[in-house]
Amino acid sequence: MNPPLSRRDVLRRLGFVAGMWWAARAEARDIPGDSVYQLRAQLTDQDGRSFELSSLRGQAVLVSMFYSSCEQVCPMIFETIRLTLLALPVADRERVRVMMISFDPARDSVAVLKATAEAHQCDARWALLRAEDAEVRRIAAVLGVQYRRLASGEFNHSSAIELLDTEGRIAARTGTLGAADPGFVKAVRKALSRQA
Amino acid sequence: MALEIVRRATRIVVCAAAACGTAMAADFITVPGGRFASVLPQGPVPTVSVPVEVAAFAMRATPVTAGEFLAFVRAHPEWQRGRAPAIFADRRYLVDWRSPVLLADGGAADRPVINVSWFAARAYCESERARLPTWLEWEYTAAADETRRDARADPQWRRRILSWYERPATTSPPRVGGAPNVFGVSDLHGVVWEWVDDFNALFIAGDSRVQGDPDTAKFCGAGALSVIDRDSYAVLMRIALLSSLSAADTTGSLGFRCVRPGGERP
Amino acid sequence: MNVARSAGILDAHATRIGLAAMLCAPLLSFGAQPAAGDFGPPRGAPIHAVLTSPPNVPPPVARNRPAKVIVTLEVVEKEMPISEGVTYTFWTFGGTVPGSFIRVRQGDTVEFHLKNHPDNKMPHNIDLHGVTGPGGGAASSFTAPGHESQFTFKALNEGIYVYHCATAPVGMHVANGMYGLMLVEPPRGLPKVDHEYYVMQGDFYTTGKYREKGAQPFDMEKAIDERPTYVLFNGAEGALTGDKAMKAKVNETVRLFVGNGGPNLVSSFHVIGAIFDKVRFEGGTNFQTNVQTTLIPAGGAAIAEFRTRVPGSYVLVDHSIFRAFNKGALAILKVDGEPDKAIYSGKELDSVYLGDRAGANLNAVTRATASSAAGTLSLDDQVHAGQALFAGTCSVCHQGNGAGLPGVFPPLAKSDFLGADTRRAIGVVLHGLSGKVTVNGQEYHSVMPPMTQLNDDEVANILTYVLNSWGNPGGRISIDEVKQQRAAPTAPAKASEH
Ligand code: HEC
Ligand SMILES: [Cu+2]
Repeated sequence: MNPPLSRRDVLRRLGFVAGMWWAARAEARDIPGDSVYQLRAQLTDQDGRSFELSSLRGQAVLVSMFYSSCEQVCPMIFETIRLTLLALPVADRERVRVMMISFDPARDSVAVLKATAEAHQCDARWALLRAEDAEVRRIAAVLGVQYRRLASGEFNHSSAIELLDTEGRIAARTGTLGAADPGFVKAVRKALSRQA
Repeated sequence: MALEIVRRATRIVVCAAAACGTAMAADFITVPGGRFASVLPQGPVPTVSVPVEVAAFAMRATPVTAGEFLAFVRAHPEWQRGRAPAIFADRRYLVDWRSPVLLADGGAADRPVINVSWFAARAYCESERARLPTWLEWEYTAAADETRRDARADPQWRRRILSWYERPATTSPPRVGGAPNVFGVSDLHGVVWEWVDDFNALFIAGDSRVQGDPDTAKFCGAGALSVIDRDSYAVLMRIALLSSLSAADTTGSLGFRCVRPGGERP
Repeated sequence: MNVARSAGILDAHATRIGLAAMLCAPLLSFGAQPAAGDFGPPRGAPIHAVLTSPPNVPPPVARNRPAKVIVTLEVVEKEMPISEGVTYTFWTFGGTVPGSFIRVRQGDTVEFHLKNHPDNKMPHNIDLHGVTGPGGGAASSFTAPGHESQFTFKALNEGIYVYHCATAPVGMHVANGMYGLMLVEPPRGLPKVDHEYYVMQGDFYTTGKYREKGAQPFDMEKAIDERPTYVLFNGAEGALTGDKAMKAKVNETVRLFVGNGGPNLVSSFHVIGAIFDKVRFEGGTNFQTNVQTTLIPAGGAAIAEFRTRVPGSYVLVDHSIFRAFNKGALAILKVDGEPDKAIYSGKELDSVYLGDRAGANLNAVTRATASSAAGTLSLDDQVHAGQALFAGTCSVCHQGNGAGLPGVFPPLAKSDFLGADTRRAIGVVLHGLSGKVTVNGQEYHSVMPPMTQLNDDEVANILTYVLNSWGNPGGRISIDEVKQQRAAPTAPAKASEH
């Protein structure tokens, strides 16, 4: 049981929270209402840097969720994204960013993310990200991903790859794994054509 | 034994952050932990029910009311209807209110808030230093009746739940504060559906249709979950509702309540 | 996510196979050949499908090209009558049970919108048996209350197909009325007929007994045990009888689209007094001719056609006949027009047929009637007439020698119950008898139905015969005594009250 807070404590906390919120609002003001970037989540990338989802605003982004110790589907997600990028014209390929968000902050430390990135030959376009459990649930909710942790430490999860347009709106989603989905590739090219 | 539990259930009164200093305050009831067999498999094998240990927590005695939620959106205008971003709340968010800061009618304040999204429910709970319950916590508390911690084997318990399912939600939900169960928690059945924090973990294979689906790629790992106890269809229907939702969705019979971690160790 | 859902770019719910299960998904087509019903991409402007409530069927498609057809179906949970004075909370596709009839052409691309009304409590989806693809659309159409989902399919196979909700618990959603029919017309349409009707059978499970008044809740136990309270055509007793009977004239062609939603029972579908000229059994392409009764599986349908010849009321039944007369599976097609005596004469003779029980022939009865009218009725007349009538009416149970069957039918021979109060026996015959009764030391606990078919003369004569046979005390029951008892307002005799 938490010790009851004093009234001053509460007010102080409240003031702090509200202050953060308004600061964030000012920045978020012109982010569209249906943009994933409305979510102000605290993430860390494979190099240990703190990461804001909206930092990728203005670019076409592929997003998916995974966990490093996954042996079945997750490697295929990496592979599918790689194939999707390869299916784009060379010039386009370099302009796409990739966000991979881990379900498993307990085991996916920065070092593990780094190793996973290397294992899948992820270059600078890729961000492998971790966040606290509650934050992961929220990110999954925004992306429409379902997952649950099993007693074994494994995860059950739906596996889809999403395309965010330059404003962070979900523009397309594919459930195809193991090959580039032509419809999805087309959607990526369309998003890139809108990119300044 | 039943009385014993009630006596132990200490009431912790927490000041709802949104309404601190006002008369508004929520009752959080300590729910002692225990062993519990969920209708959803919790163990490693998706077809065998393994009882699991549920840790103690403190749960709101009643669902969050429209009046409480009104105080919240007054204190947090970004959660008012029309201001909450579309990605967090669909177009039916608080649609039954007269305005973004006015309830439907005078008597609505002590009815459960409805037409709220998961994001909004979560933000509310955070505002009172709480969180949404997990499915397991909710199911564990809701398995009780007035005298027993686990009344699920009683057909009467099931029938009471089903009688609510049978009525379409054309009228507004009843006022909160029905008869408390053995833990001291009210209104878990017969009032509203309630959000749980891990609603998007409830992807189960339907009652009979996809048992042993070889297509494990759809859900990485073990494939979809199975519901173990076919008799628990009353509970299964709640899972069906939750699994049909996206986090921004709202419906006219869906509300929520909050929990706080911890609670007394028996 | 609403973004994805409304934009329709992708199958947002594909990942959500969760509860949307796959029981009835048609098998995927074999081989690499394009399916026979694929006539290429849709042509022309999209068309909004006309949906109809049962028993009506939308007009023929009458189109020679594949089109994009938009179907919008709304799920509504609502309380409706299931029988006289009995209501039930149905879950419906389009506000009716069965749900709205959908009619498209083979090769059409169907853009399907499923709306779940905001006042509903339950999530729902739809599995269309006419869809080729996993779950028949179930996964893609899983919809929360106050939401809408969309998916698109090509109607590759022609035929009549059931659709139903497939949300868990599936059986309950189906038992609450969530089924209907979709007709996929062959490219050149179906032959023209004068009338098309939409009839669908379903079994229903209520906690109360058949016709128990009031709002009746669903009974899961009965449903699992497959013990229906009601078996109905079009979701209510009387949905297709009286004013609501289907209609035709003589010498017209009638096509019935008959489905069976189940959830449990298989239907032995029969029209009393008609022979189907042609049945597309199981909804398939082959047909059978000259069919009396066709079997319709749960989750299946058939097309039955016949020509009306003779006017009258034709009763549609499930020929598992207790369902028709004790659970409600009855509907009527009323055919008007001139009788054709060459085909059916109507009643030419109405006489009593007593079979080999007639024995002592009916002259005695005739004689008693005549002497009664003349006021000269003797004891002998009554006993003789009574003997003939007893053989035809009472001996089935009480046996020809009045000995009854031990433990089942009490004896009338030397019955102390009868002897104690001979007048009471009039009431027993007129109103029947139920409950505990002790006859000659043995207890019976059964039911004797009222013999309502007997007139006052006949009752008096039978009882007089009984009193004067098998060592009974003798005596006479007069017609007036029977008249008086009949006039007295009495409930059926309760044996235990005596
Ligand atoms: C369908 C079977 C059936 C038929 C037909 C029938 N009965 Fe009965 N009858 C019974 C049964 C069963 C009882 C005992 C009822 C009870 O247990 O309460 C009974 C009881 C009686 C009794 C009182 C008990 C006794 O044995 O004295 C009389 C008198 C009687 N029947 C007369 C008749 C006569 C006269 C007829 C013909 C008009 C007739 N019944 C036709 C089944 C029948
Ligand atoms: Cu349904």
